[in-house]
Amino acid sequence: MEKNSTKNLILTLATIGIISALLLTFVYEWTTPYIQAKQAQAQKQAINEVLPGVEEVEEVEKNGNIFYEGYDADGSQIGVAFQNSGGGYNGAIEIMIGVDLKNDKIYKISVLNHQETPGLGARITENEFKSNFEDKAFGDYSVVKTPPSEEMQVQAIAGATISSENTTRIIEDGLEKINSAYGGGN
Amino acid sequence: MSLDFKQVVSDFKNGLWAENPIIRLVIGMCPTLAVTNTTENGLAMGLATSFVLIMSEIVISLIKKLIPANVRIPSYILIIATFVTFVDYFLKAFFPGIAASLSIFIPLIVVNCLILGRQEAFASKHSTPRAIADGIGMGIGFTWVLVLLGAIREFFGMGSIFGFTLLGDWYRPMVIMVLPAGAFITLGILVGVMNYISREGK
Amino acid sequence: MEEFTQILLLFISTVLINNFILVRFLGICPFLGVSKQVETAFSMGLATTFVMTLTAAATWLINTFILEAFNLPFLQYVSFIIVIASLVQFVEMFIKKTSPVLYKALGIFLPLITTNCAIMGLALLIPLNGYSFIASVVFGFGAGVGFTLAIVLMAGLREKLEFGDVPEVLKGVPVTLIIAGIMAMAFMGFSGLISM
Repeated sequence: MEKNSTKNLILTLATIGIISALLLTFVYEWTTPYIQAKQAQAQKQAINEVLPGVEEVEEVEKNGNIFYEGYDADGSQIGVAFQNSGGGYNGAIEIMIGVDLKNDKIYKISVLNHQETPGLGARITENEFKSNFEDKAFGDYSVVKTPPSEEMQVQAIAGATISSENTTRIIEDGLEKINSAYGGGN
Repeated sequence: MSLDFKQVVSDFKNGLWAENPIIRLVIGMCPTLAVTNTTENGLAMGLATSFVLIMSEIVISLIKKLIPANVRIPSYILIIATFVTFVDYFLKAFFPGIAASLSIFIPLIVVNCLILGRQEAFASKHSTPRAIADGIGMGIGFTWVLVLLGAIREFFGMGSIFGFTLLGDWYRPMVIMVLPAGAFITLGILVGVMNYISREGK
Repeated sequence: MEEFTQILLLFISTVLINNFILVRFLGICPFLGVSKQVETAFSMGLATTFVMTLTAAATWLINTFILEAFNLPFLQYVSFIIVIASLVQFVEMFIKKTSPVLYKALGIFLPLITTNCAIMGLALLIPLNGYSFIASVVFGFGAGVGFTLAIVLMAGLREKLEFGDVPEVLKGVPVTLIIAGIMAMAFMGFSGLISM
């Protein structure tokens, strides 16, 4: 049958392929500005959340990473924010960490993106878990199941130990990157 | 081309119950179990899948005569993949929250056997109006089961529906419901109940 | 050596802890459809594992050297599915030539591997998790092994169930789903086995 000849085969697939690629390029060009705008907005919100009282942010590149230096209304540096990502239970978790370099402690963290289980691992975005890292000194943290009795302890979310652990590791890794860039560190 | 209205309506109604994709045809199971942990996710997935299904059925019923028989499956898949990519980017740009919740299950719409199955079984063999009716019917049929399953799992698993907390703090959520095990069991019972209903109706 | 341990842990976690079917919900259609007999289930598992391993390698290469190099992320789904469809076609021809008996036994299930969401899911998870080439191949292989494990277990249970007394309304799909739920609960016991 002429219709099933190899030439027609390749022609059909190639035509569909090319039309598809063209349409998708158009879709990509159309949506990318919106996607980037949303991401920039989310990032800005996160920086505002983790650096209390920040008025101006300056983007600085060190060691191949981008750091956000935050300054208050008087122009003095509040601290530095850094976005770190790592593997979670179901996919990548992106966390914005705001640190006070003068006092070697974390101001606050904000979870930007995650794929954790709703009702369980997803609770890393709730204040109850995030408060573990509020006003916290730098160091090696250990995740425990009971309310923390020491500064270096982090209380896991009930039923979501792995998500809690992974998030803590990502924060520790982020602190390492900040310290190696800003020369502080223990 | 004469439009047989009765036929079109019948094609539409088919997908809602008699040949409901999830309960009767047992296709499209992966997203059914994975994204029904909340009602909102179930609805979003149902709508996204319906969109791809309807658009693909339209395109394929229009160009069916142009596609050689031995490349029809790859051709259908390419067309489906194109629409899925469109939905993915559209959601990322305008509904990032939903895009994040559904994550990899949006691209997985490409291999949802429901969509490919309908192209092969229907769109490639019937007129475009009928294909549209089939797409809408199947789409709604798929969506209502997802929403029902999502509502059940969210209600028992988190005490809420669509994010609105319905049960107060006194309720100890059955966390298993939002986990894979609960999904399997709930759907199993649901299909069993549907089987019972359709049997009793005879 | 540390790299090797990581890879080994990845394998174990993919087979047991993040089992593709029972935890990630990928591959449910063949799971429900092909799990009636242990032998068929095992053959399907083998064929799928083979395709998965090759898919992991192929899509990693395409993603790294074409999609990322030329900034074409929007062609990911289209290119991945072409790769998968082609690989399945190739595996089909390979099995037809080397073992016509197996080819006949698998029948329609072979081309259906293309629509197995576990394979596409696998291809998508690799760039999401940023695995290296070796890690990707191990991940693909592990996914196949986990898949095979789950459907063979299910087939074994269903074979036994043939002699059981299942209520009419639950026969077929419903009881299989309920059993899958119980299996999923059992597999939940594996989580926390390894902290990665």
